[in-house]
Amino acid sequence: MSTPLMNKDPLVQLAELNIDIAVSYRQFDLAIKQRLPLGGITGIFGHSGSGKSTLLRAIAGLEANTQGEIALNHQYLINSSSGISLKPEDRQVGLVFQNSRLFPHLTVFENLNFAAKRCKHSKLTIDEVIELTELRPLLTQHADQLSGGQQQRVALARAMLAEPRLLLLDEPLSALDQHSKTTLLKMMLNIQKQLNLPMLYVSHSLDELQQVCDNLLVLSQGVVIDFGNIHQVIHQLNHYEESVIIHQQTSLSLPIKQLDNGHGLTSLAVGDGQEIYLIRGTDFAQHNQIRCFILASDISICLTEPANSSIVNHLFGTISQITHQANNVLLTVNCGPQQFFVTISAFSQQKLALTITQDVYLQFKASAVRTFIH
Amino acid sequence: MIDPDLQALITTLKMAALTTIILLVIGTPLAWYLAKMTSRFKIFIEAIVALPLVLPPTVLGFYLLIAFSPEHLPGQLWQQATGQQLAFSFSAIVIGSVLYSLPFVVQPLQKAFEQLGDSLLEAGALLGAGPIDRFFSIVLPLTKASFITAASLGFAHTVGEFGVILMIGGNIPGETRVLSIALFDHVEAFDYAKAHLLSISLLIGSMILLAAIYWLNLPTRTNDKIRSIREKLNEHATHE
Repeated sequence: MSTPLMNKDPLVQLAELNIDIAVSYRQFDLAIKQRLPLGGITGIFGHSGSGKSTLLRAIAGLEANTQGEIALNHQYLINSSSGISLKPEDRQVGLVFQNSRLFPHLTVFENLNFAAKRCKHSKLTIDEVIELTELRPLLTQHADQLSGGQQQRVALARAMLAEPRLLLLDEPLSALDQHSKTTLLKMMLNIQKQLNLPMLYVSHSLDELQQVCDNLLVLSQGVVIDFGNIHQVIHQLNHYEESVIIHQQTSLSLPIKQLDNGHGLTSLAVGDGQEIYLIRGTDFAQHNQIRCFILASDISICLTEPANSSIVNHLFGTISQITHQANNVLLTVNCGPQQFFVTISAFSQQKLALTITQDVYLQFKASAVRTFIH
Repeated sequence: MIDPDLQALITTLKMAALTTIILLVIGTPLAWYLAKMTSRFKIFIEAIVALPLVLPPTVLGFYLLIAFSPEHLPGQLWQQATGQQLAFSFSAIVIGSVLYSLPFVVQPLQKAFEQLGDSLLEAGALLGAGPIDRFFSIVLPLTKASFITAASLGFAHTVGEFGVILMIGGNIPGETRVLSIALFDHVEAFDYAKAHLLSISLLIGSMILLAAIYWLNLPTRTNDKIRSIREKLNEHATHE
């Protein structure tokens, strides 16, 4: 199933997960065949019942009726045709669950130590991990004394201390408030970069995923719908009508052009000399690039260049695609190298007589350019 | 010459202690498999384990007496292996007690294992803990109270049994003459003074044991904590 590696040096070798499995239940079937290069954080998106969690559990070895093959870095975790199936404790795959699953009879430190003392090849020390996850003040507490966000931090630290080759995250933020989400997402990004630990991140929240993931795998009803660069995949999802319903949007990673225009707005370069403004986030100074998204319903179309408007963003572009959907129309507008997605009513489309290759102006407020963690 | 009642007490404690140990050794894995079992046979095994709760002890004793006799296979095998007759021996009353007290050990353990669920065990496995490790580092500390309950109930129930022992053990001093049998003897011989003494001792002893179990199972901070976490886990138990 695997092609021989060109590079024999295990350090340079890019982590890779090869999946070709079927998991069947009475009401639900999962059938996944996908090669996942594991750089950074790979997102897995889908609605409830799409099979995201089942996929993670199959990779971790927790789904007993998994058939097929999963190979991590060309080593089989399971290969049912030759009777190989590593036990979860032998896979060196970590999993952070939605509910932290801390051991209630142990303190925070003892929970961490549970993982550390069973790790056979430890390179990380407990101290290092405690620093990374800022758990020092909580070490003597029990799980029930912690907030949800603190519990997930402990769960993350505990999973890291087992030093997995791959860390799976199953909706780790879904039970948390916005502030804890932000803190934990930043922590995960930081950890991913410092330890170079590949992660698979399952979520039903596209906002979360597009802040941290480079690649995105989309599942619906147990099968893969799409995989690739996160922005491209989200743009392709804009055109799905049935199974994967998302808020249609433009998803962007753009370089900062000017950090602050003196009025608390940051400008980002779109690539053809044009720029978009958004409200400056507190930590923009630490970034060269900003990830953001604009809901298609937040953009309006003008046939002439807007003037005398309070709306700060207007971009010139060319309509490249028109898709009719019920009473709405989804327009794809190319602004230089960047595609933008706009939904307008069919009524407006008819009134303006919009056609493909027509030049238009896009208009949207700075506050419509949304970031999640900044 | 040792006092016959004291000797009966020693025999009883020996029998109950040995029975409890055997019950924990075989009852724990049995309870575990019952807790994890999903097949249709589960209810049959559960029914067999629970049978002593409803069956008259003399019925169980009668069948065991027949099985243990040298004319039948279990008794024959025992005799070949040990050179001694099984019926009317100390070993017979221990085997009888194990069967008779089985539900008192298996049921609380099974319930505890079912409540514990798989979520923490899965977490433990992914942190590198194998099955034996998981049992001692996760299951045992979190179900300690149920183990104490199971052991105490098994012990107390064995001390109090009469019918099974009468059928398969008879009344051999130092071998099968336990307290409940001694008490019956005293009553039959109209020796009410001795009967009173034995009865009140058993009553007080049982009260103390039960009070101790309930005290150990009082809702403590740790138990509350475990319960609240279990509830949280159960809320999320429905995975995709």
